Amino acid sequence: MAQQQQHVLLSPAELAYLHSSLSLTPPIRPDGRSATQFRPLSAETGILPGTNGSARVCFADGTEAIVGVKAEIERTKRRWDDDGVYRENAQQHQEQEGEGKEGEGQEGSGDWVELTVEIPGLRDDDSGTAFLGRMLGEALLADGGFVGRLRVNRRFHWKVFLDILLISPPLSYPLPLLSLTTHLALLATRLPKLKSEGDEDPFFDDDWAAARYLYARDPVTKKVVERPPVTLLVMAVGGNIIFDPSKEELAVADVALAVSIGDDATATKTKEDEMEVDSSSGRNLKLLSIRTVDPPSRLTPPGVANAANSAYGHAQVVNTAATQKMPEARQTESEAVEGVWKPPRGGAKASVMGALVQKVLVKGGVADEVLDALEGVDTS
Amino acid sequence: MPLDTSTYGLALLRVDGRRWNELRRIHAQIRTQAAADGSSYLEMGHTKVMCVVTGPSEPGPRRGAAGGAAGGGGGAGGQSKDAEVVVNIVIAGFSSVDRKRRGRGDKRTLEMQSTLANTLAATLHTHLFPHSQINISLHVLSQDGSLLAALINAATLACVDAGIPMTDYVTACTAGSTSTYAANDEGADPLLDLNHQEEQELPGLTVATLGDSDRVVALVCESRVQISRLEGMLAVGVDGCKQVREILDQVIKAQGQKMILEGTVDKGTGLNDMDLD
Repeated sequence: MAQQQQHVLLSPAELAYLHSSLSLTPPIRPDGRSATQFRPLSAETGILPGTNGSARVCFADGTEAIVGVKAEIERTKRRWDDDGVYRENAQQHQEQEGEGKEGEGQEGSGDWVELTVEIPGLRDDDSGTAFLGRMLGEALLADGGFVGRLRVNRRFHWKVFLDILLISPPLSYPLPLLSLTTHLALLATRLPKLKSEGDEDPFFDDDWAAARYLYARDPVTKKVVERPPVTLLVMAVGGNIIFDPSKEELAVADVALAVSIGDDATATKTKEDEMEVDSSSGRNLKLLSIRTVDPPSRLTPPGVANAANSAYGHAQVVNTAATQKMPEARQTESEAVEGVWKPPRGGAKASVMGALVQKVLVKGGVADEVLDALEGVDTS
Repeated sequence: MPLDTSTYGLALLRVDGRRWNELRRIHAQIRTQAAADGSSYLEMGHTKVMCVVTGPSEPGPRRGAAGGAAGGGGGAGGQSKDAEVVVNIVIAGFSSVDRKRRGRGDKRTLEMQSTLANTLAATLHTHLFPHSQINISLHVLSQDGSLLAALINAATLACVDAGIPMTDYVTACTAGSTSTYAANDEGADPLLDLNHQEEQELPGLTVATLGDSDRVVALVCESRVQISRLEGMLAVGVDGCKQVREILDQVIKAQGQKMILEGTVDKGTGLNDMDLD
């Protein structure tokens, strides 16, 4: 997050002001959004005919990302067993678990997916970029069914390459943008239809119109039945929980959390069969992964209260040798003064973390809204 | 797949059905990105690039070798009287037919970066912005030959959009020859605007010129070619640059008209004769 910090040019007084206005009920955000409101965005899919699936998303603040998905056929690695019989490592893995309940076609391995993130101006081995990539990949793999979709037969599988490009300079923490773009690109991804049967060398239909979607759709309505995960950025300031924070808001965050959620399609289906509920009334959201994001607020310079400010005149002189050597020590010891910025120290409280996750997963909440909005994007 | 150059002699048509002096479809847009100072999107056939310009701005703190070596800096350093042009090219993994990942340190990318940085540093009025930096970030979304030419054209458009003063348009184009070096065919015709297939097989060069003039600002030739063929290739290339300039000029004028009609900018005094309807 070092590169994040560089871009935030706010004085301690400004940070204190922002912090207190975000702590009000309801919070007052710099761009006038409500606490749960996302930045408006425009999205399109299928922009690159050379890829299996692609998407472009522009947020209203001008940040823009493009994701391209390419798939290659790859031979599944086999591994020798202890008893001299060699098997696919994936299948063996399943047997070790002792439960074969998933059945064939569900197993796979995480290295079938390769994900790269490119952010202009940053090296691709930059810690922030690597962390973003891991977070996005983690959510995808945590959704257990994903690699299963890539299986062709016992000997071959698809290897999927996800290239995530941030086009604009990184004006805000790009996690939600990249996640939504990846989501749309995966929804639009199509793989050629398999013509061969069983464990033969795979042979595909060269008619692109016959290609099947990676994420299955309803054959009649063409509506997406299953969907990839989305990762949302949530932060807490004071007692407030704020969604999709901008860079300035993140600079005063007490806690920032990246929460990945999936749409539990199987649960929705069984429920629909029972009660015939309208699917838009709320989804069965599934928590896939949580990561704490180190907010840049921890690295901001603290403000100095008038009482302690020698430049202000009436401060007592506290220039002992110890405090001169370690100005940090004095600042951390000083108590919070109203209106004076003090960077958050220490970890987040468990209750706050619980509340954050709860707020994301609540039915008919922000996650539902986001998924509904993404459903509105034409991905055919 | 080897390119069958023998058929060219029969119908005088190339693999994609063009004649020797025809450009591919060029489609360009400027101001594609709200957050940047300048931005553009350019398609030359199936080669698609996006460009985002940030600056002129205060140069950020140098982080090790990331800024200098990989950035392909042109012009001068941050402390001098001229602005530094830093070019950063990202070639997306999905841009070619077979996915091939190129790291930041890729030699070809680095060379294109420095060619581009030097070309632009010579054309942009960098002396007007002392102690500053112009960041040009290019994204290659799809490639089908003439990549350097497309990058130069996109960067020109984005610099115009960013309002950075420059001498004139820098437009680039590729030119090739109808038979391979090995064929040693003296009577080979020159070709304009090579696609990927032609670029693989035939000798070719990329030429960039300044505006309407014949002044060459960049010339890159990475293949072996008989010296007798070079003149013809260069002449065709320079002619192609002029055609490209016309197209880019149209794009910028159209955007300017649109902005005046929308009221984004005031109609200037010199624009009274412009046809706005």
